[in-house]
Amino acid sequence: MNTAISIRELHKSFGRAHALDGLDLEVRTGEVHGFLGPNGAGKSTTIRILLGLMRADSGTAVLLGGDPWKDAAELHRRLAYVPGDVNLWPSLTGGEVIDLLGRLRGGLDPARRAELMDRFELDPRKKAKTYSKGNRQKVALVAAFASDADLLILDEPTSGLDPLMEAVFQQCVLEEKRRGRTVLLSSHILSEVEALCDRVSIIRAGRTVESGTLPELRHLTMTKITATLSGALPDLPWAHGTAVENGKVTFQVDDQDLDKVMRRLAEAGITSLVSTPPSLEDLFMRHYADRSAR
Amino acid sequence: MTTLIRLILRRERLIAPVWMLLLAVLAAGQANRYATAIPSIGDFAREMAANKALTAFAGEVYSPTVAGMAVWKNADAIYTVIALIAILMVVRHTRAEEESGRAELVGAGVVGRLAPLTAALTVTAAAVSLAGLLAGLSMAAMGFDLAGSLAFGAAITAMGLVFTGVGALAAQLTVGARTAVGLAALVLGVSYLLRFVADGSGLTALKWLSPQGWSHLVKPYGDDNWAALLPGLALTAVTVAAAYRLAGRRDVGHGVIPERPGPAGSTTLRGPLALAWRLQRGLLAGWTVGYAIAGLALGALALSIPEVSRQGAAVQEFLARYTAGDGVSMTDAYLWLIALSLGYVAALYPLLALLRLRGEEAAGRAELLLATPVGRLRWAGSHLVFALGGSVVILTAAGLGIGLATGDPLGVLPGTLVQVPAVWVPAGVGVLAFGLLPRAAAGISWATFLFVNLFGEVLGPIMGIDYWIAKYVVPFPNLPMVLSGEEFTPGPVAVMLALTLALVAGGLAALRRRALL
Repeated sequence: MNTAISIRELHKSFGRAHALDGLDLEVRTGEVHGFLGPNGAGKSTTIRILLGLMRADSGTAVLLGGDPWKDAAELHRRLAYVPGDVNLWPSLTGGEVIDLLGRLRGGLDPARRAELMDRFELDPRKKAKTYSKGNRQKVALVAAFASDADLLILDEPTSGLDPLMEAVFQQCVLEEKRRGRTVLLSSHILSEVEALCDRVSIIRAGRTVESGTLPELRHLTMTKITATLSGALPDLPWAHGTAVENGKVTFQVDDQDLDKVMRRLAEAGITSLVSTPPSLEDLFMRHYADRSAR
Repeated sequence: MTTLIRLILRRERLIAPVWMLLLAVLAAGQANRYATAIPSIGDFAREMAANKALTAFAGEVYSPTVAGMAVWKNADAIYTVIALIAILMVVRHTRAEEESGRAELVGAGVVGRLAPLTAALTVTAAAVSLAGLLAGLSMAAMGFDLAGSLAFGAAITAMGLVFTGVGALAAQLTVGARTAVGLAALVLGVSYLLRFVADGSGLTALKWLSPQGWSHLVKPYGDDNWAALLPGLALTAVTVAAAYRLAGRRDVGHGVIPERPGPAGSTTLRGPLALAWRLQRGLLAGWTVGYAIAGLALGALALSIPEVSRQGAAVQEFLARYTAGDGVSMTDAYLWLIALSLGYVAALYPLLALLRLRGEEAAGRAELLLATPVGRLRWAGSHLVFALGGSVVILTAAGLGIGLATGDPLGVLPGTLVQVPAVWVPAGVGVLAFGLLPRAAAGISWATFLFVNLFGEVLGPIMGIDYWIAKYVVPFPNLPMVLSGEEFTPGPVAVMLALTLALVAGGLAALRRRALL
């Protein structure tokens, strides 16, 4: 089986609000899959359906070859979950929570537990109610990484971590990937997505709007060109948002038209030229920002 | 500051008017009933005053008038309820806010560090004052003596103020809101028990040690002894001053009682049942100890119950309610009354234990647990075991306590254990509410408890419903009176068990189908 998660045409509404409106998602076994979208796009709802905490109105969801609602307990033996908002039992210590969650998932490796605790600089003797948000997340992360799960579902797991811990987190995810585990990572942190994810899916308003590897997605956006020409500005029917300022012309162009544009510019005589590939920010901003366009 | 007060008022605007009215209705409704239903209030008062058991439960009779007897009947319940409300209200707006982190949001705004405490105290004090005034005025509006009515209102308010202070102090001491409520409720329990023992044993001077006793000593419609309010006001001043002192010195989110480091890991937390035990054991231990002590105290009183003349109508009614057959001693009647009363109150325990399930769900901890191979039924079942089994444990503790005090350790046990099925029925309602209407589960659970407790004895009569109708509405009056002349019959118990089973099964089936919220 080479598909860990396969979702087709998933719908879920709460009263009149459509949380999911025909969502598709495919996560291949062994990959780190970025799950992106603005707040309220339906990421957490999707994850809750995958965990069998909630049932979809229509559509299909297949998780590790099973039905996430009907086979929940069975499937949960093979996955570990870190919620975005980690709430722990206030009277238990961090160490106790890690052992409890580990044992419920079928045991955890004591050496790995100790190593992770050390790397995340977690004091396991403190009561959960005295932990900060970041420390509560570390508890859930250590429990998840120390488990023997095939699939890790991480819902914005690093929103409370400092940059040092963020680096430790990234190392851990890469180690998991090397062991052949699959990771579904919901995140807003673009550097994290860029560093870790093989493929990403971007969702907006309950629908998948883009899915693929990062180079593939980059390809879909336009390159920004800034040039100073010795001759007159030629006619560039492929250019978008052309602006001339202080003798510099700036515009955007689809990668497929790049060749034609370059020829015209070269004919006009190029004095200087800067070509900027689309950044991840540009990519996301385009999807996040035109919410109102729908 | 005004913004904070407005915020609290906004959050209380639905609940506060309801309980204020309820308390006023409890006071005035009882008076209305006595005015219409009892031909000779003087005879009634004499009979009641002679009944030691009822004196322990309700207090001494201070005024053999309609208003005085209405106060005698319901005042103790009103004092207890307003104290509980004051505790819950002041903790809800202080420690619970800090625990949830919302207080940080407010604290980061332009407010002083003592402002949240001041706002919570202001609103709670105003609410209990208004409630007392409303109860007093509704008595006065029925034509009873104005001075006595106002004294009664002041006694209610004083009780509320004392526990506003106690609650505020407890909220400064602990980190968790639930612990704070528990601590303040413990003070209330001790206060109740001291008053109970004082009136039951005849050592009435003991009442001066109990806040509830102070309000009793105001003797509305009797002496109208306003001076008895002074110790309460003094205690309020002391606790509020202490709360301010602590609030000014500690960090937001921390308590005075520090958190000690715990174990670095666990080998005993093996599954949901072990986790449920960790989460439930404090509640269960508290109730078990409380019930054992209550059993000992109530049992000791049983020995001092004298035989009284059985001629009066009220004594006849008392015997008809709590005994079966002739020749039952007053002591046995009293023992059954104790067992029954403990059963009524015990109905709260499984409901509270079950609400932990909802608490786990609402806080998102259930999500963490249910993302492991633990299924919903195993999760719910692990708490249900303690809710239902714990009821047996606390009623056993009470039965042994009464038995030890009366010199026959196992003699009373059947009487408290027979309460178990009646305690389980409301628990079943709690499970059903959790399964079907999780967001309303807390409200439904508390309403069920209040309904079961108030219907037969308090609400029914006020609404003009005969006590004997209660049999068809709440389980307890159907139990075989095994301590006071009745043979054990399995019929009613079997019906209650079947009902419990159906309610629990319905609740669990609904839980399996619904989304986790």
